[in-house]
Amino acid sequence: MDSDPPLPPPLRIRHRSPTTSSGSPNNNSGSNSNKPRVHRPSLAKTYRLSSRFDDHSSQPSSDPALFSSDDIPASGLENYHHAPALGSGPGTGSGPRKRRYRGTWWGETVPDAVGSEGLDAQGYGHWHGHGHGRKMKRKRAEFKDKRLVDSGVWMGSDESVSVFASEGDRWGEELLVNSRAEEVRDDDHGHGQGQDGGAMVSTGTRTAFAKKVEEESREHQVARSIVNDCLESGEDSIDLSNGNLRLIPTGLLRPLQHLTKLPTIKEPPITEEVYSSLQPFLRLFLSGNALPSLTGELFELDSLRVLSLRNNKLTEIPPAIRRLTKLQELNISVNRLSLLPWELLWLIKKGDLKHLTVQPNPLSQIEESQISQWHLPTENHEDMKSCEYDGPPPEEAWAPIHVATGPIIRYNMEGVPLSECRSPSFSHTPSNLDSQSQHQAASRVPSLRETALLCFSKSTAFDTDLIPEDDTPGFPNLLLRLLRQARDVRNAGGRSCSICHRSFVIARTEWIEWWDCSTYENGLKGPRASGEKLRPLPFWRLGCSLGCVPASELEA
Amino acid sequence: MSSSDPTQSEYVTLVSGDGFEFIIPRSAACVSGTIRRMLDPSSKFSEALSGRCVFENLSGVVLEKVCEYFCYNDKNKNQTNVPDMDIPPELCLELLMAADYLDT
Repeated sequence: MDSDPPLPPPLRIRHRSPTTSSGSPNNNSGSNSNKPRVHRPSLAKTYRLSSRFDDHSSQPSSDPALFSSDDIPASGLENYHHAPALGSGPGTGSGPRKRRYRGTWWGETVPDAVGSEGLDAQGYGHWHGHGHGRKMKRKRAEFKDKRLVDSGVWMGSDESVSVFASEGDRWGEELLVNSRAEEVRDDDHGHGQGQDGGAMVSTGTRTAFAKKVEEESREHQVARSIVNDCLESGEDSIDLSNGNLRLIPTGLLRPLQHLTKLPTIKEPPITEEVYSSLQPFLRLFLSGNALPSLTGELFELDSLRVLSLRNNKLTEIPPAIRRLTKLQELNISVNRLSLLPWELLWLIKKGDLKHLTVQPNPLSQIEESQISQWHLPTENHEDMKSCEYDGPPPEEAWAPIHVATGPIIRYNMEGVPLSECRSPSFSHTPSNLDSQSQHQAASRVPSLRETALLCFSKSTAFDTDLIPEDDTPGFPNLLLRLLRQARDVRNAGGRSCSICHRSFVIARTEWIEWWDCSTYENGLKGPRASGEKLRPLPFWRLGCSLGCVPASELEA
Repeated sequence: MSSSDPTQSEYVTLVSGDGFEFIIPRSAACVSGTIRRMLDPSSKFSEALSGRCVFENLSGVVLEKVCEYFCYNDKNKNQTNVPDMDIPPELCLELLMAADYLDT
């Protein structure tokens, strides 16, 4: 203690004045030893608290009782760990009694006339009458309370040693990105409850964290706690529905990748059911929120089987949904979708998707759209009917039917539609431009812009927050636009060409295919009836190069 | 355009701002709209006459990667399965600027 740099004020100006002004702390401790029955609980408690840190007491700053008890044989190191022999005498219960004196050595041993010999922890128990005991005990409590409120001095003998160590770790973590801080906060709470006032050093840190807690909205906290509960209990059905979420906070869904179910063995008679698969059948319900868009994190959950996005404000389903290859059931009804990603069709054909709920949505209608090619065998396109059959339904009564294809829109390397690209600035070289687009029509090589942007969007080294939102003079406008586009594509989970599956940032071609998926819309419960009217859905397809167009277009 | 004029050589020289010279096939370099216009014989630019283009604002490291891209593009332009070209992440912003300038 005496080696501590911030020494408490000398004797008379004691900082613990409320305790010591009415009586000396010696009395206090002494009465403990003399009236064991009264004080047993407190002794036991003290022992329990201190025992974990006995090893630390060899540190010079930890405990004044060590050096003050040298002349008492029973307080030697060999007895240090022993349980207190309560009431057997002042010299015996050495371990716990050392714990009793938490202040400075002079603070504890302020010599009232009687106790001047009792400088050491064990000695002064003799000197005080029983009459003081009760009063002193109360003082002791006050002292402890006071420590809860204030101290400014942290001592190794406080019970917060291990907690403090973890706090130290957290200081480092505080330097990490904010999103991490949110996760840290959860265990922060856990520690905080078990703590007394000992960890005062970290109070500043704690308040800083508390502020961040307030910053995160209640909805997000609730969502996080739901996810955490599911992770802990191995529950593979995550219900975040009606949570009033306006966005999916970062780091919320990622841990679900590692969700594992727990074995359900409870009682000894083991039945067959116990041997079920521990592979999670991951179901995520995000319905009834206010999500305007989806994050790429959602599409990293590659073991997701059921996803409900019903009743949100989605205007687009990112093509990255293709990565959810195990998806069996998808509900995207009651949103603001006008087009569906073509990748859903891919999931139906090549993946596991069996039940797709789309309606109601403000989807484009085939009657009002431009069609460049019909794929139905019949000549009359006004009444779209499925094939007519007798007897058992043929294969095509189940499969999706390609009804029609819309016109192809081509874009230049900057993502501007090619028809608009013939702007006045280019008009002096019309022949060149035409030859260029002709020349590149067959090429599937990505442009250098595209290659660089893709590299940018894949690189983790670039923090996309660095892209300024406003038009900074240092950045060319065009570049900024492209970089923002790359960032948006990355946030939505990336894109991949629907023809050659190469990932890309700027789409060069775009068209709509109309497919009838009515059997999948009712969950493959039955085939189409013979001659049933088709209800085609618009699927939005993107190509990564001018060469990536429908096969029929290439032949033409 | 290159083949139509017999006086034009098959290769062109691209020079970076810090003095590195890269000699690549004319057809590959013409992937870039800017270079194609520079080398257009009807323009009578000095680059078109000498077959030597100097890019003061491109460093040698970037121009080397650009030339690699030209050759990669030229080689793969008729292929259906195009391999990816590797770009070191630290170069991608500069390459994006260069691509914007070279119109490629």
